[in-house]
Amino acid sequence: MDEFTPLDCLLPSGKQRICLVILNQPLDERYFHVLWSKAQIRACADGGANHLYRLTEGRRESFLPDYINGDFDSILPEVKAFYAGKNCKLMETPDQDLTDFTKCLAIMLEEIKAKKLQIDSIVTLGGLGGRFDQTMATEETLFHAQKMTDLPVVVIQDSSLAFLLKEGRHHQLNVNTGMEGKWCSLVPVGSPCLTTTSGLKWNLDNQVLAFGQLVSTSNTYEDHDPKDCRKPVTITTDNPLLWSMGLKRLQSSQTFL
Amino acid sequence: METPDQDLTDFTKCLAIMLEEIKAKKLQIDSIVTLGGLGGRFDQTMATVETLFHAQKMTDLPVVVIQDSSLAFLLKEGRHHQLNVNTGMEGKWCSLVPVGSPCLTTTSGLKWNLDNQVLAFGQLVSTSNTYEDHDPKDCRKPVTITTDNPLLWSMGIKRLQSSQTFL
Repeated sequence: MDEFTPLDCLLPSGKQRICLVILNQPLDERYFHVLWSKAQIRACADGGANHLYRLTEGRRESFLPDYINGDFDSILPEVKAFYAGKNCKLMETPDQDLTDFTKCLAIMLEEIKAKKLQIDSIVTLGGLGGRFDQTMATEETLFHAQKMTDLPVVVIQDSSLAFLLKEGRHHQLNVNTGMEGKWCSLVPVGSPCLTTTSGLKWNLDNQVLAFGQLVSTSNTYEDHDPKDCRKPVTITTDNPLLWSMGLKRLQSSQTFL
Repeated sequence: METPDQDLTDFTKCLAIMLEEIKAKKLQIDSIVTLGGLGGRFDQTMATVETLFHAQKMTDLPVVVIQDSSLAFLLKEGRHHQLNVNTGMEGKWCSLVPVGSPCLTTTSGLKWNLDNQVLAFGQLVSTSNTYEDHDPKDCRKPVTITTDNPLLWSMGIKRLQSSQTFL
């Protein structure tokens, strides 16, 4: 059984050992600080460096990424020069067939191996908004990631998290961190998925999720006695299935430093 | 109009009403344009795509979705599509994404065309594509696409300056 707590990475007290990828989308300051401080390797994919540069104005030396990769068509010249001057690794990855995100992950996995790190998941900021084809490209990268590693790769932007569930496994998602928002969703992105779930308000009982037939959006968690913990969500699927969930909106005073 | 059906999104129900209104008013309509649907809550973006699938069963009218500088449009299977991309409003990028199932695809007019190839998540998905180069004296050629399953076309829209709204 694959047990995973998607939002553990946002808890200062969370146990997951993570690596961080920053993509070319506005950075949410509320999540950025807790993720940066926990991450053992931090990387930017191309224009992600622009957002890091902007967000950390005044204290940029304290937030240097381990590497920046990409074809460098999005990173601003001044940003590139700054991080190069601070000895961040700049790795040009011009392969046309793979996205900057996929290539960033590939480098991340090599770095994890080279440094002999014990890592539990790779967390990505950005990727779910902006140019629509880039949102689709993020999903494609999650498919590729499954062939590259067994590590969970989660993508967070605004108040959404997305995570691709592998086929043929019994998944248990712990959704009891207190950071969970109201909604959750199961979307058969690449092909129909024969699905069974528990712990959701609207569960699936060996049913086919497929575009044009049935797609689970605006779902939520099973009601539970306030005295008890929320039960985990369990999911089995015969094809990769995209789980997404809402994150509780933090007040600006609630950033963890 | 309260439409409390739990199994269909507000967007799908809105389209259903729109089609009834078009019929009741006996209007000649060429397409339905939607503002919003491609950003914000991620499950809602997915729900928008699901509505485009349902729309194909509800009507032959094209339903396009526009948000920020992106447009999305679901191409029906089994048809020969010709997209005219010569309005001057087109941005640089375009994309073909096999949402829902693999698509055997052939295209022309793109920088990276497909020649009876399978688009499928985990194998090949066309994002950050663009239009074929053309002589500036000539018009941009249309993009043609055939597919054996519904295929999601999306494209960038040129960013207008604030002074460039048309009144």
